[in-house]
Amino acid sequence: MAVKIEVGAGGVPHNQILIYGLVGSLILIYLTYLNSATNTEYFAFFGGLASVAALVWGADTIKHLCSYGLGTGVPSAGMIALGSGVIAALFGAMTGIFAPIVAIIVAAIIGAVSGLLANHVVRMDIPVMIISLTELAVVGAITVLGLIAMVGGTFDFQNLFGGGSVSLGLVIGSGVIALIFMLAAIAIQHAFNACLGPDEKQDRTLMLAAECGFLSMIPIAVISFAFIAFIPALISLVISIVGWLYTYMRYIELSKRDAYAWLDAKPILEPKGGA
Amino acid sequence: MEEIVFGIGITALAGALATIAGAAEDTESDIGSQGDPNSQVQLAPQMGYIHRIFNKAIAGEPPAYGLWVALGAGLAWAFMAMQMNPILAIVLGSALAVFVQGVYATTAYLGRTASLAKFEQPVYIDILKSMTTVTMAHAFIAIFATVAMCHLIISALGHPFPLPLLGLVWGIALGAAGSATGNPFYGKERQYQEQKFGAGVPISASGNIVRYAEAGERNSLDNGFFSAKLGGPASGICFGLIVFFELWRTVVFEPLAAGWGAIIIGVIVILIFAVIDRYIEVWARNTFGPYAVPEVPEVPEEASS
Repeated sequence: MAVKIEVGAGGVPHNQILIYGLVGSLILIYLTYLNSATNTEYFAFFGGLASVAALVWGADTIKHLCSYGLGTGVPSAGMIALGSGVIAALFGAMTGIFAPIVAIIVAAIIGAVSGLLANHVVRMDIPVMIISLTELAVVGAITVLGLIAMVGGTFDFQNLFGGGSVSLGLVIGSGVIALIFMLAAIAIQHAFNACLGPDEKQDRTLMLAAECGFLSMIPIAVISFAFIAFIPALISLVISIVGWLYTYMRYIELSKRDAYAWLDAKPILEPKGGA
Repeated sequence: MEEIVFGIGITALAGALATIAGAAEDTESDIGSQGDPNSQVQLAPQMGYIHRIFNKAIAGEPPAYGLWVALGAGLAWAFMAMQMNPILAIVLGSALAVFVQGVYATTAYLGRTASLAKFEQPVYIDILKSMTTVTMAHAFIAIFATVAMCHLIISALGHPFPLPLLGLVWGIALGAAGSATGNPFYGKERQYQEQKFGAGVPISASGNIVRYAEAGERNSLDNGFFSAKLGGPASGICFGLIVFFELWRTVVFEPLAAGWGAIIIGVIVILIFAVIDRYIEVWARNTFGPYAVPEVPEVPEEASS
């Protein structure tokens, strides 16, 4: 697209969002271990909440990266984030209790290498490229782990070989992992892709990112009925729908606040200066 | 022999479903000005051309359709795993996928338009009310037909991929077919009817898209009518042929040379189509020609007396 990308100034500094996103999603991911601790599946929804926290951070990273004039690069940023993230997440899932931390480290390495390649081999020479791709890969890994935990109750690979729960094997074997990949890849890029323009506002963009996260949780919660028990899946579904409704309403309010005018069935208002 | 006849029957059915999916997909994306036409719809207010056209940018069409179809397929797979009838499962899966598509469409329009406040482009909320449902209806047809096609490929032809993964692959192919074949009808031609035919788009005409219709102001439903007539069927033929040839070469030629037969036939089909495309291109250029200034017939000066 040949449109110049501009982003609004101000708002919460990116580093602050990075720290909240990283710590928050890591805590939420670890809360899914309550499932194996209590031997139930009621806490699967924490995985979805972790992915929402990660997506909000990821959307701000994409805004940061794409303010360097990457127009058509906005959706690609989502793809590379999840492409790096899914590898790291599956690698991390093999390491038991350390899975989220290992996944984050592996994702950071993959992201940094692809950032180095983009800057020094492809010669894109964008100052924030390496750090942004590192962040995006970590966001992708957390999102994939979170949604796997939500759909299957756990992301522990060792259960697959230990003869216990086979849910992760089923998530991969059934191809639901492909759906998780696409859901997260579109969700992570949509917030900035939809809100780019000279009057972009950070709170509106991040509210849309949260909306996309909760919206992605809804079909995952529906699919989780095939994997986990009825009541835990129902809890996930209710939490997703409530979260989505709240963020969607808030997003519409913020759009109303930022729009030039909010008209219903009115003709074209030619600009005062004339076309 | 009977197996091959059965396979060809399934191939034809899958091709027919793909044709319907392609036609619906292109109409859906053109109503939302997604893909090719989007940059100009997005640019127009910045050049002072305020419009009432739906601006629904959700990634490109291939990734977006990759998601919608994978979503429909994944949900259908889950419903089937819960012992639901496949037809019902595919319908319900597609309906839920369309819900996600509709929500994405509304947030994309609101976000893009609100961020253009500086250029005095208002949010026309009636666009969302009247057009989102129309794009959702077309998207439902596209998703349902594609997921049904994937289910046929797996259950009748024994494809080894799981349903959501096959849905992702064919969804991306569907979006790519519509984006490459159907969108230029609207994005290159209909948006620029104020420009002379074949004149291209000079920078001075950037963003100067057609904003007024035969009567009143043009909205994206008018573009839907247009796409249903030209771009949609073209995309349908494109995607239908892709699916048909892909399955046909596999069903008929896979036993040859341990699977290499299908690959060789695939390469031959691509070469034949390359020759046909080149012929059509040269023929069209010679017949319709590059744009030239029409010769103005000399007007004899009338003697005034």
